[in-house]
Amino acid sequence: MRTLIISAVALLAFLLVPLFVQSPYALHIFILLFMAVALGESWNVIGGYAGQYSVGHSAWYGLGAYGAFILLQRNATPPWFGVWVAVAVAVVVALAVGWITFRLRGPYFVLASIAVAEIIRLLALNWKDLTNGAEGILASDIPPLKLGETVITDWNSKTPYYYMGLLLAVFCIAVNLVVKRSKLGYYLQAIREDQDAAHSLGIPLTLCKNAALGISAALTALAGSFAALYIGFIEPQAVFGIDISIQLLLTCIIGGIGTITGPLFGAIVLVLLSEALRSSLAQAHLLVYGVLVIAVILTMPDGIVGFVVQRMRRKAGTQ
Amino acid sequence: MVLIQSVLGGVLIGGVYALIGIGLTLIFGVMRVINFAQGELVMVGMYVTFFLFQLLGVDPFLSVVLTMPALFLLGALLQRTLINQVLDALPQNQILLTIGIGLVLSNLAMLAFTSDYRILSTSYSSSSVALGAIRLSTPLIYCFLITAAITAALYWFLVKTDTGHAIRATAQDRDAAQLMGVNVRNMGILAFGMGSALAGAAGALVAPIYYIYPQVGGAFTLKAFVVVVLGGMGSIIGATLGGVLIGVAESVSGTYFGSGWKDVCVYVIFLLVLLLKPSGLLGKSRV
Repeated sequence: MRTLIISAVALLAFLLVPLFVQSPYALHIFILLFMAVALGESWNVIGGYAGQYSVGHSAWYGLGAYGAFILLQRNATPPWFGVWVAVAVAVVVALAVGWITFRLRGPYFVLASIAVAEIIRLLALNWKDLTNGAEGILASDIPPLKLGETVITDWNSKTPYYYMGLLLAVFCIAVNLVVKRSKLGYYLQAIREDQDAAHSLGIPLTLCKNAALGISAALTALAGSFAALYIGFIEPQAVFGIDISIQLLLTCIIGGIGTITGPLFGAIVLVLLSEALRSSLAQAHLLVYGVLVIAVILTMPDGIVGFVVQRMRRKAGTQ
Repeated sequence: MVLIQSVLGGVLIGGVYALIGIGLTLIFGVMRVINFAQGELVMVGMYVTFFLFQLLGVDPFLSVVLTMPALFLLGALLQRTLINQVLDALPQNQILLTIGIGLVLSNLAMLAFTSDYRILSTSYSSSSVALGAIRLSTPLIYCFLITAAITAALYWFLVKTDTGHAIRATAQDRDAAQLMGVNVRNMGILAFGMGSALAGAAGALVAPIYYIYPQVGGAFTLKAFVVVVLGGMGSIIGATLGGVLIGVAESVSGTYFGSGWKDVCVYVIFLLVLLLKPSGLLGKSRV
């Protein structure tokens, strides 16, 4: 109950922010935060609950981005319709890939996931007729969002992106909540803890992992297309590169996997630190991720949230 | 003729992939840790070579004798301070730690040297040797000869010396080796140092051939995985063979499908090997 009230208050506060905050930079930070939360929660479904460490999620991120951009550019399809086609494509490809790679375990699955993302990146780079190759695509003329005849927004300020980002982050958190408490969620956590034991209890391994990957890929594609539209430009390395996979994986790891709050905290820490150090690090902003993940693995392998929870339990125990 | 030309070219560059792969497989064999920072160590080797050449005029191929010890120290240090702490942790956490190390190395390089592409050009950079109708680039030939020498020396070390025996014993059975009085902790440091030194050597050897920039490592890491999985995780002969095979596959597919597609072929082969024979060509099944 208390969590519910806190969440409701926080959501209301976030809804009101753009009414009081005018600075585009502040809104920009919030949007980055929402994207990081959405992406971290997306990875959490497959990496956190099922324990399948995909380092190839840039594949779904990029498919979402390219799908929305190609439809926008070719057919002038508004992105909020086009993105669902992109999500469908990402899910179909993810299921095909999952069907092949989920027989692999541990490090072999990690390697296969990287290889798949690389193959898709190279396809995007070489299939110039469809993707415009290394030159990339510019998002031009995003049509205004209309309800009936009233124009809701023409996407010229940061505020519409703010609300879209908030909606996306809340949606990804909600999906996580549903998955975590569903039968599927318990199956996935059983697989994470001991795959062989789960199998012997009759849990269909490949089916569960594929369901988790499908959900995760759909959310990642959704977040990827939003991020790409916000930035306004895509090219293969920027959306399919391994940097993206590592960023969304580490958001989850640093915060703590398999929890709802983990990716939230991971996103806050990483976005704020990266922004604070942006001027001094410039292109080397992933240094923050590297240093943090080393520190987290060595000192708090369950992530920040896991570490804090453990501390609190120990404190409660001694009292 | 074109086929022979591209096969030979593939064998030559495959030697370098083998060198990086052998380093990776050595580390995996002794410690069961997959080093995702292997390519970044190659990158460090490339920069060391570049600056030795730029500032002191040391020939890139001669600089191997300096980059190898330098990278050995870096690797041993990483092992002692960081990797040693996660030897008993979950494999995922070991992977994440090495990913973190790789990120730190490449981003530090970016801070120190900017993301500019650098080129190391020597007097013989663009020369080639003709064998009948076949022309092979001179730096690539030097590169292959030195690779072969280093690999041979490594075999000799592992097969003939006591320390080499101890390393192989640790790789075969950590506990048994420890009971026989082998200091497995030191063997780990030695193995990581040697693996890094091999990456450094590879970096020195490819410095005159590739562009040098902070993110060049990622491509080498991936290729090293392909080589090692193809040969069989932990098998040094397998990695040697895998390196040459991947070099040839890349070169031949580049010739016939265009250079944009050669890496696609390499990764498709990789996935096929993972699925059909995950223990690799010469490895024992550990999956």
